[in-house]
Amino acid sequence: MRIRSPRWLNNAIGVLILLVLAELIGRTGIAGRSWPPLTEVFGYLTEPVAQATVLRALSATAASAGWGLVLGIVFAAIAALLSTFIPVLRPGLDRLASVLNAVPLIALAPLLITTVGRESTPAVVAALGVGFVMFVAFTAGLSGASATHQDVFAVFGSARTTTLLRLQVPVALPTVLDGLALAAPTAILGATIGEWFGAPRGLGVLIVSAMQNYQVLLLWAAALTAALLSLAAYLIAVRLQSGAVRRFT
Amino acid sequence: MTESATDTIQASGATAAAGSSPVMRRAPTEAITLRNVTMSFDLGRSKRMTALEDFNLSVAEGEFVALLGPSGCGKSTVLRLVTGLEQATSGEVLVEDRAPADLAKSHRLGVAFQEHALLPWSSVRENIALPFRLARRAVDWQRVDELITLVGLVGFEKARPRQLSGGMKQRVAIARALVLSPDVLLLDEPFGALDAVTRRRMNGELARIWEEQHITTLLVTHDVEEAVLLADRVVVLTGRPGRVRHVQTVDMPRPRHADITRSAEFRAVVDHLTDLLDVDRKTE
Repeated sequence: MRIRSPRWLNNAIGVLILLVLAELIGRTGIAGRSWPPLTEVFGYLTEPVAQATVLRALSATAASAGWGLVLGIVFAAIAALLSTFIPVLRPGLDRLASVLNAVPLIALAPLLITTVGRESTPAVVAALGVGFVMFVAFTAGLSGASATHQDVFAVFGSARTTTLLRLQVPVALPTVLDGLALAAPTAILGATIGEWFGAPRGLGVLIVSAMQNYQVLLLWAAALTAALLSLAAYLIAVRLQSGAVRRFT
Repeated sequence: MTESATDTIQASGATAAAGSSPVMRRAPTEAITLRNVTMSFDLGRSKRMTALEDFNLSVAEGEFVALLGPSGCGKSTVLRLVTGLEQATSGEVLVEDRAPADLAKSHRLGVAFQEHALLPWSSVRENIALPFRLARRAVDWQRVDELITLVGLVGFEKARPRQLSGGMKQRVAIARALVLSPDVLLLDEPFGALDAVTRRRMNGELARIWEEQHITTLLVTHDVEEAVLLADRVVVLTGRPGRVRHVQTVDMPRPRHADITRSAEFRAVVDHLTDLLDVDRKTE
């Protein structure tokens, strides 16, 4: 008989194996001097000076990513509503979104530094990444109601805004939160990339300067922090999504 | 072919010849009129499918008419034309002397589809109250609760659709169709997805509910017994393209209980109509 372990235990074992492997590679030094043992990285993070540096950078990146997330969601929602209510605009908006997404963020970042400035570039880059994902999620969600549901609303004489609020929005919620689970890590990635090109502070700045000055431990600390932030954002979004699926389907 | 379809066709033929305004030339008791309606769909590559051809039907106010026909004969198309969800290719569709969509817009139409189409995130009570919300009226909760009692769902007010059986979901859908006391009720095989026993019980309940209000009703079905049990008139359609083959008046006394289905008179009508449907299949 197969013994089934609970899911959280499987996850925990997976994470543990990964951490142990990383530690072993660092200890044996087979990946060179730029791969330190993880325990050393964590040890470095307990030093007050290092901790303060990383935390300051973390709060800057989190703020940029948060603003980017909000901006991206707002613009995506406006664009999706326009394409829902004015069907003529739909093909154009779809194409615009695809074109914006096709331009690599890394190519846009230097351009944005010169236009929106060093301070706001991380948030704008984050917003661009988020905007595309959320636009796709919003448009797919808003057109997700079944034909019969739409017929029911039509025969009861529902106005378009009423149909939007009472049918399309609730139907869209699980899809939109699915999009959010992708968009939240995208926001952090976007903010970090945006910071590479001369933002005054943030995890991206820390990564670049640590790399240039060969501060291996700081580099790893900053990268791990960015990864953990991204993971946390993802997990929160997934939680929200499964809640919405339970409530709205 | 249309031996008994005479009453409707002659009526509409005579009025069409009169040529005066539509309001003047029909009896005021006529709730639904379809005159010389043709409906064809574009299938692409210059192919067209004709669902209805030269179709005539009238339903009087307070009358229960059942449309009976084989699958794909266009009977659901008739119903969709009356809801205003589809526009006829040619011919005239009138509900209360106006365009069908007008009735929907003024929230005086009740419809139950084969798929119940309840909102999965709302309770039974909220689902039945939905038409009030869509009409932007204050919800008359007393009326909602009345209908919950009428369709026999007391105790399930707070349940969500996925917690209900198929029959219960259809009862909610019918209650939702009735909640605004519509002028016209349209039922598109509302029990089509149910098993035979549940279906029979639901028919009995629908008959009982209808006795209480006598709303003008158009029922689309392929179940002969269902049609005869419920309707004042049964209209049998031919296969594609749909035309009226036969109109059967059912004047068995109401209220009709389930035991009427065993009477000789009922069986005779059912057998006759079943034969008509069968002839249709042979000539296909």
